[in-house]
Parts: sequence; structure tokens; C-alpha cells
Amino acid sequence: MNNPLKPFSFSPRQAFRVWQREVSVYKYVYKSTIISNLMDPLIYLMALGFGLGAYVNRMQGLPYIQFIAPGLISSSIMTAATFETTINTFVRIHFDRIYEAMMATPVTVEDIAVGEMMWAMTRSTIYATVMLGVVTVLGLTRSWYAIFVPFMGALGGLMFATLGLTYTSFLKSIDQVNFYMTLFITPLFLFSGVFYPIDALPQAVKTIAFLSPLYHLVEVIRPLVLGTAGYGILLHLGWILAFVFIFTVLPVNLLKKKLVK
Amino acid sequence: MIDFDVLLGECFGFLGPNGAGKTTTMRMIGCVSPLTSGSLSVFGLDTQKSMRQIKQRLGVVPQDANLDEELPVEENLTVYARFFNIPSSISARRAEEWLEFMELTEKRRAKVSELSGGMRRRLLISRAMMNAPDLLILDEPTTGLDPQARHLVWDKLFELKKRGVTQIVTTHYMDEAQQLCDRIAIMDQGRIIERGTPQDLIQEHIGREVLEIRVAEPENNDNILSLVASLAKGHDSYRDLLMIYSDEAEVALKRIREIGINTDYTLVRRSGLEDVFLKLTGRRLNE
Repeated sequence: MNNPLKPFSFSPRQAFRVWQREVSVYKYVYKSTIISNLMDPLIYLMALGFGLGAYVNRMQGLPYIQFIAPGLISSSIMTAATFETTINTFVRIHFDRIYEAMMATPVTVEDIAVGEMMWAMTRSTIYATVMLGVVTVLGLTRSWYAIFVPFMGALGGLMFATLGLTYTSFLKSIDQVNFYMTLFITPLFLFSGVFYPIDALPQAVKTIAFLSPLYHLVEVIRPLVLGTAGYGILLHLGWILAFVFIFTVLPVNLLKKKLVK
Repeated sequence: MIDFDVLLGECFGFLGPNGAGKTTTMRMIGCVSPLTSGSLSVFGLDTQKSMRQIKQRLGVVPQDANLDEELPVEENLTVYARFFNIPSSISARRAEEWLEFMELTEKRRAKVSELSGGMRRRLLISRAMMNAPDLLILDEPTTGLDPQARHLVWDKLFELKKRGVTQIVTTHYMDEAQQLCDRIAIMDQGRIIERGTPQDLIQEHIGREVLEIRVAEPENNDNILSLVASLAKGHDSYRDLLMIYSDEAEVALKRIREIGINTDYTLVRRSGLEDVFLKLTGRRLNE
């Protein structure tokens, strides 16, 4: 048997076509999905920001709601790219067989994987931007550096798209998506400095938190929104760039192994 | 190892029982499945090296409808056309033409889930025509359709052939192959075991007619066969049914009657591709 991974064939134009298909579909669903997807972080912002915020005096010298607002922008980036590359991608592979149809055209699996990651980045960027808008309207944005948040939405989106697509390429049934959500995404959400600084955690957990992609995203976005950005964020930005640089090719190959048969 | 050529403008059929390798062959031609060994060229291009160029010129109608359920009917065509980098002005016009041709115009804004099985199949064929392909590959184009829907699909495929569209069709419906195909190849267990025009294959293996006969005492079968040997092109039996292939089945039946063998059932009928198929691939189930 010839190696199914060869030849590696990627065309940016064809990946763009895959991305365009998602845009065409999104035109029909964006109204309902934007609202339902953004309700989640907004409920956390209101419930914890106002509710818990009434008891928590200050977090790192900030009103509590101001502390968690940039964290929730970050987690919305994670959620958007994760849903897109797990549940949605699984449905496209197994139920709707969209990729099978694409593969009959001059589109390769490489183009599909890259196009889907581009699309996940787009969705993360949209959510980060809308969340930033809401946070700004609430008067919680303190710096013009916040205009870099959409860019972090794209970069963070790519990071979580890489992870999600990697997981999805091993999936046998849609129920297994739950493992990813409860065993990976939820712990990231709770232990990555969204709701409190990770200094509060025991040393062992703190070490693990350093491996959390969301932690580094939060540590870049919070200083940008609050105007406290120093050279320190370069360390976290570097971590994210290194992650993306090393791992993005992985799901491309895994998806190819899964789809070519 | 299979070896075949398809001529420009013809409809070439692959016949074979389930599991014979028809779909795998189609997927290899479509540059979707890797070759296990050997080489395959489509339009004179190597499927391993030039898959994008080949796919640019192919139209593929898969066995199971994989339409885009998230898009309305017309956008199923225009979004698909974008994968071939067809400008939107051209694809909009083509989509309109193909919807018209396939009698789907009034469904253009409908959701795919609202379409019947026959409509889905016609939409799949329209989609495959969006890039004006040099070769249209149809994998069991009418499996699962009711008779009315099947005849409409055949009608449309016949119309496409008249317009000069080269087609490869896989099927296990013999009437489909006989209706549509200029030449056919019969596949079994991954190999082509016979090929030719439907008429030639029938003439060569069966003859004009088939005499079906069921006798009261099966011991008589040998007597019958030696009696009609000079008239028969061959025979086959299935349980207690004896089938004699002949150009002159009526004459053969008369001879059998003359010597007074008791028969429970006799039938003289025109031969068809199904007789060839069953003779060559056997009557056992491939399970």
C-alpha cells in the first residue's frame, strides 16, 4: 500500500474555498448562534461579576468584574474554536459527509484541514470582537491596546482549532466529544486564571496551569484590555506562537489519515 | 488488476455483485482512494501526481447523497462550483440551467431535507455537471429510487449522453446497464471477467432466448440436456429450475414435449443481460 499521507498537496486558494463554504453556511445561522454562544460568557460576567463581585473586594487591585471580563473574552475564543473543530467538524465528516463531497473536487484533505482551521480562527475572532464590544460598553475596557484583542482571537482560535481537530480525528462517536469538554475544556476554563490569579493554586496545579493554552491567552489579553501590558506578555505570546508553530501540522496529517481510504 | 479504456462520448458500465470492487474502482478514478498497487491514468494524467488537474475535469455522483444539508438547493450548486474556481457569474447561469434541465427549478430555494430521493439524485447529478466535466462518474445512480424516479434519472442520463457527455456508470441493475451503456465490463472479486456491448455479450453467452423448465423428476435433467445439446449454447440450473440458453428455445421445448417428459413449469423468454451476469458471476450470494 502506498503511503496515504503522500503526496502532501496544499493549495491556499483551495483552502480559501473551504473557508468560503463555511462563510456561506454562516450567513444563515449567525444571528441565532452569536446570541446563544455569547450568552454563556455574558451570564458568567453578570453572575460572578456582580454577584460574587459584591463579596470579593478587589482582585489584584481591580474590581472583580473588571478582573474577569478579559478572562471571559479569552474563554469565548477557546469555546468558539473548540465547538467548530469538534462537534461541527465531526458532523461534517460523519453525518453530512461534506468533506467527502469536497474531496471529489480539486480540494485535498490538506486544504480542508487548513480551511477549517482558518474558519475556526474567524469565528474566534468574531466572538472575541463582539465580547470586547460588550465589555467596552460596560465600561470595563481601560486601554487602546485592546484593539489587539481580535488579533489574539485569531491566534488563540488557531491554537484551540489545532487541539480540537487533533482530538476529532481520533473520534469514533459524537458522545466522545463530551470527554473533551469535561476533562479538558472545563478544567482549562476553571484553572487558567480566568476567575482568579493562578498564584492562589497549590504549586503542583500551578505548574500544570503553565501548560494550559488558555492561561497564556488570558495573560496576554488581560494586560491589553486593562492597559497594564509590559514586556511580560511577550513570554506568553511566545508560548502561544511556539505552540502553533509546532502543532498545527499535526491535525492536518491526522485528518488525512482518517479521510483518505 | 483491472484494465479498461473508456471512449470519448460513450457510456461505459461496470457491473458486478456487491463487493466486486466497483466503488473502489470509481474512488480510484476520482483520485480519492490511493492505489494499492499499479498505476492509473485518467485523461492521460497519473492519478498519483495530477489529482487536482484530473478532479478539475471530473463530475462525480456518489452512491449515497452527500449534499450540503446546511445550504439551500441552488447554493449547493454554486458553492460547489467555487471548489472548481468557476467565476460566480458563470456558476449562477449554469446552476439555473441545470436546475431547469433536472426539473428542480421550483425547488431552488428549498432545503435539501425537503427533497425526495429522486430529486436529491437529480440535484447530485446537476452538482456533478457544474464544472462541465469531460467525464461523469455515476456510482449506482438509481439505487433506492422508486420506478418513476428511476425512469426520470435514466431519461436525463440518456439526454446527457446525446449531448456527448462521457459517462462511467456502476450498477447491479441489468436493465439500467442495458438501457444506458454502450459497453460494459462485468466485475467479480476485484477483476474484470468479461467485457463488450450488451448485445454482443448476450449473443455470445446466452443466445436469443432462454428456456426455463422445471420437471417432475429431476433425474430427467440429463436426458433433456443431451436431447437439446445441438440447439443449446449452454445451460445453468438453480435448485430444481433448469435454464437452457438457445437461439431456438421453442424448438428445444417441442423436442422435450415430443418424448413425453413431464414438466411442472416451462417458459420461453427473451434473454437479457441478467442471464449473462448470473452465468458469469454465479448464483450464490456473495456474503
